Amino acid sequence: MVDGPMRDAGIFGAACLCGVASGLFGIGGGTLLVPFLALFFAFAQHRAQGTSLIALIPPTGALAFFAYAKAGYVSWQTGLLLIPGVFAGGILGGWLAKRLNPRRMRQVFAGLMFALGMWQAVAAWAR
Amino acid sequence: MTLIVLLLGLAVGVLVGLLGIGGGVVLVPALVYLLHMDQHLAQGTSLFILLPPVGLGALREYWKQGQVDLRAGILCALGMLVGGYLGGLIAVPLASRHLKGLFGCFLILAAVLLWQKPQPQNRIAISAGEESARGRRSNA
Repeated sequence: MVDGPMRDAGIFGAACLCGVASGLFGIGGGTLLVPFLALFFAFAQHRAQGTSLIALIPPTGALAFFAYAKAGYVSWQTGLLLIPGVFAGGILGGWLAKRLNPRRMRQVFAGLMFALGMWQAVAAWAR
Repeated sequence: MTLIVLLLGLAVGVLVGLLGIGGGVVLVPALVYLLHMDQHLAQGTSLFILLPPVGLGALREYWKQGQVDLRAGILCALGMLVGGYLGGLIAVPLASRHLKGLFGCFLILAAVLLWQKPQPQNRIAISAGEESARGRRSNA
């Protein structure tokens, strides 16, 4: 793996790509960032996840969020209700991550997402 | 209804900590299917939830174990800020139906990426990368 400025530029570029997905799909971006860091920049799995979490501490989606808010695409009440749960669950998940087999749990989750993605794509277009 | 939303938040949060992801990838379909939101509304609401540092509690666990690359993290945050703006510009004018379909395709891609994992033969490269990262930090 290259080091120094090239590595930095590569990470920045990969993150830009994750950002486009983040704004386009209303997600945090970590879903792409974790595998990118692991596959292209040789991060160990836990390190990739920890780095992804720190990248998500500043409001990286703020600019995308404003674009949605301006168009009226935000449910404020539901959002406010979800925040405390996500925060508390995050602590629990971080604690669990140290105790579970990460490979197994990622595969279960990947399987779930695959099925959900198929369902959603078919539901949207097969009409 | 309120209880469902609170529990949904908790469930999503566990995944955030467990997998080191933002949670939006789970939140958006949950909002669409459980709360019957429109695709755009679900995505905007998901972005709203991700504005405060909801992953802070999870990060603490990783930080204690030294599993964070601060420099890479800052670069990623900057990149995602810029990219996010572009993504938002693309998404807002799209028809909800197409956005929903695209989101489905994205989930499939994300699932494939998540399934992948550095294979055992890459382990040497990984530990070498880790070593050089450590070396850089101690030099700094």
